[in-house]
Amino acid sequence: MTSTTLPLPGDDAHEEAHAEASAAVLVCKPLVKWHFTFAMFFMLTSMTAGFLVSLQFLDLYPFQGIRWLQYGRVRLMHTNEIAYGFLVNAFIGALYYAVPRLTGRRVASHGLGWIILVVWQFLMFATSIGQMLGFGQAVEWGETPTGFLPGTFHLVYIPVDFLIEFGAVLLAIQFLTPIAKAMHSKMYVSLWYISAGIVWLILTYVMGNTLPEWTLNGSSGAATAGLFIHDLVGLFVTPMGWGLMYFFVPIILRAPIWSHALSVIGFWALAFFYPLNGVHHFLLSSIPMSVQYGAVISTMAVEIVVTTVVVNFFATMWGKGHALRTNLPIRWFYTGMVFYFITCLQCFFHTTLSVQEIIHFTDWVPGHAHLVMLGVFAFWCIGIITWLWPRLTGNDWYSRRLNHWQYWLTMIGLFIMFVDLLAAGLMHGFMAKSLVPWMDIVRALRPYWEVRTFAGGMILLGQILFVWNLFQTTRHSKPYDYRVDLVDPEAA
Amino acid sequence: MDRFGSVILVAGLACFAFAFLLSGLYPYMITDHAVPAATIEDLASYVPADFKALKDAYPVSFAQRFSQAEAALTPRELVSLDASDPRRGQSEAAWQAAYAEALIQGRNLYISEVCWHCHSQYVRPVANESLRFGPVLTSDHDNNVLQQPVLWGTRRVGPDLTHEGRLRSNDWHVAHFFNPAEVTPGSIMPRYTWFYREGWQVMRRIDPGKADRTGLDPERAYGYPGVWETKAEAEAAMAQIKASLPSTLAGEAERMFVAEAEGPSSDLLSLIAYVQWLGTWTPPHLEQAQ
Ligand code: HEC
Repeated sequence: MTSTTLPLPGDDAHEEAHAEASAAVLVCKPLVKWHFTFAMFFMLTSMTAGFLVSLQFLDLYPFQGIRWLQYGRVRLMHTNEIAYGFLVNAFIGALYYAVPRLTGRRVASHGLGWIILVVWQFLMFATSIGQMLGFGQAVEWGETPTGFLPGTFHLVYIPVDFLIEFGAVLLAIQFLTPIAKAMHSKMYVSLWYISAGIVWLILTYVMGNTLPEWTLNGSSGAATAGLFIHDLVGLFVTPMGWGLMYFFVPIILRAPIWSHALSVIGFWALAFFYPLNGVHHFLLSSIPMSVQYGAVISTMAVEIVVTTVVVNFFATMWGKGHALRTNLPIRWFYTGMVFYFITCLQCFFHTTLSVQEIIHFTDWVPGHAHLVMLGVFAFWCIGIITWLWPRLTGNDWYSRRLNHWQYWLTMIGLFIMFVDLLAAGLMHGFMAKSLVPWMDIVRALRPYWEVRTFAGGMILLGQILFVWNLFQTTRHSKPYDYRVDLVDPEAA
Repeated sequence: MDRFGSVILVAGLACFAFAFLLSGLYPYMITDHAVPAATIEDLASYVPADFKALKDAYPVSFAQRFSQAEAALTPRELVSLDASDPRRGQSEAAWQAAYAEALIQGRNLYISEVCWHCHSQYVRPVANESLRFGPVLTSDHDNNVLQQPVLWGTRRVGPDLTHEGRLRSNDWHVAHFFNPAEVTPGSIMPRYTWFYREGWQVMRRIDPGKADRTGLDPERAYGYPGVWETKAEAEAAMAQIKASLPSTLAGEAERMFVAEAEGPSSDLLSLIAYVQWLGTWTPPHLEQAQ
């Protein structure tokens, strides 16, 4: 690296101040801010949608009988907005901050950045509106409209999927340009994760939005649909999340990552094993058993590797545990990592066929999915936004106390929801196996669904407080002094 | 170091390709590869009686949707035709065309109403599922256009629908989609009221003297199947019903009247045709093996 480039993560406060100053030139802060703003918008709409659909289960759904706001379609908006509207926007925003600082170079073009911003939001609105009009697809996590009638080439709506593909290519141009230029020097592991994640996103998206729709059907269609579900989480969301953690955790803790070797092992094991897991979404089906066993074994392999990554991060924090108390972003990150470990441990067991027998098709799975999507990746994004927002606006927090309220409401709400749905799933599974009449199962699950709605309300409330706080902070007149949030300020 | 960068790129892509090969292409090679997927014409080659019954029961909605509805003759219509009438010969082909249309549209509605988030379409060989829902199917059963995209689903809020076809009557479905909770008390399935259109229906009250025996409510009117566009059409239908009443039920005619009502739209007929089709098709090569 040349001397004009920025310090790597883990440098001391002196250099941090220097980085803050020069990063302003490298980083286009308004782009970061706008992506975060839209991320927050879609987070709120998605969570509201999730809260609403939970009311269907209590017979309280307010839009009963309105076709475009009916349960099923709003349910699609809930998952798609959180994945593509919230997470992707938050990731892009964070990348605009992290990639220039990691490579010492600007992204390809700030003008392109504004185009991506607009294109992406347009696609998100087109997705939600398309789903309300009934053009959502039947491929899980890929319900974004292809625009064609299922299995035909009869165009009926904006071909959102193909445009998203185009948007992903723009993202690749934007972020891979500085990374490619910096490649001659030693690449920090974050950049591996980030560049791989972007390339994999393009490949995964093409695969999942063409093969199950037009070429493969039945069991082989299910195999590729499962592969898509898993690649999207494993080869895009996870690498982005970890890539950003490898960047933000060391700079906030001001400690180098414990073991670079371990981080590289983690990366390659993820790249190799994660995509092989896909078929575990359709175990005990007519997909050939050899493929199913392969998925089971590689799922278990992933969990062992995941442990190394988590160990690496906890070792990094060694001696700085008090940051969990004093530094909210670190608390979000590490809570997310604990949840990550729990989710992965869960995978290890529930990919086995005997556990599948009971929990598949039940609420257990949404419980698991909430822990990973909300408890891990959303927590990390929220942590990143919490860390960056005062730096982006230059204003101090309107209220730090609200941030703590958000943390506890979300954490406790999620935990209640998780435990509740696991219990509901087990009950459903065992009742189904015992041939209890279907309606008796539905009635028995009702109390669990009531708790779920309550927990969802807590989570939603937490995020409303957060967005309110962010909004007030942009108008707050007190300038931000970054030293307030430093871990170990006396060392500076 | 440049070389190192390209090694990373190639290795990353190789991981992706390897996974695609093992969990995408390999299952395809050893299952669906051998037999070509069944087309919609294959699936609609046999038109079941319950689909034909939809035309008898809801002629208006039926004619609105299916282009060849006129030529597709129900058994009742066939009875009144000459043995040499040329329309007899064309009827079955017209039925097949209408049935194919209905299955495709019904499947598309199943996707666009997102039924697949609450209902699965595969029975597993564990957890007593074949006792509850019916036999476990092979990958050959799903090797058809209606399973593209695959509709196996991953969540069962409602029961599995693999073998739903012919489990219930058409009328049951007409009532159920309008208000599931009324048909199955406590059901949390959404109401699909937009599948019903306004029209006129022939109604009848129960003979109060017989109410005890039938268990029906003499205060309430019960509808005959069929919802008509205009009052005049409904009255004509009522005249027909009255004419066909056996003499022992002559008294019933007095309690008949025509009223505004909601009946299944042509969309709902397609959806019902699709639901009634589920699990009724066996690939020919398996049928021969049996
Ligand atoms: C909120 C989840 C939910 C959605 C969405 C949903 N259902 Fe249901 N469905 C249920 C439940 C619960 C039952 C069982 C209770 C009952 O019979 O109503 C059920 C029952 C059924 C049955 C009767 C099964 C039997 O007992 O024979 C059919 C058929 C059916 N649904 C079809 C559909 C179709 C078609 C759609 C989409 C238009 C749909 N469902 C959407 C939850 C749902």
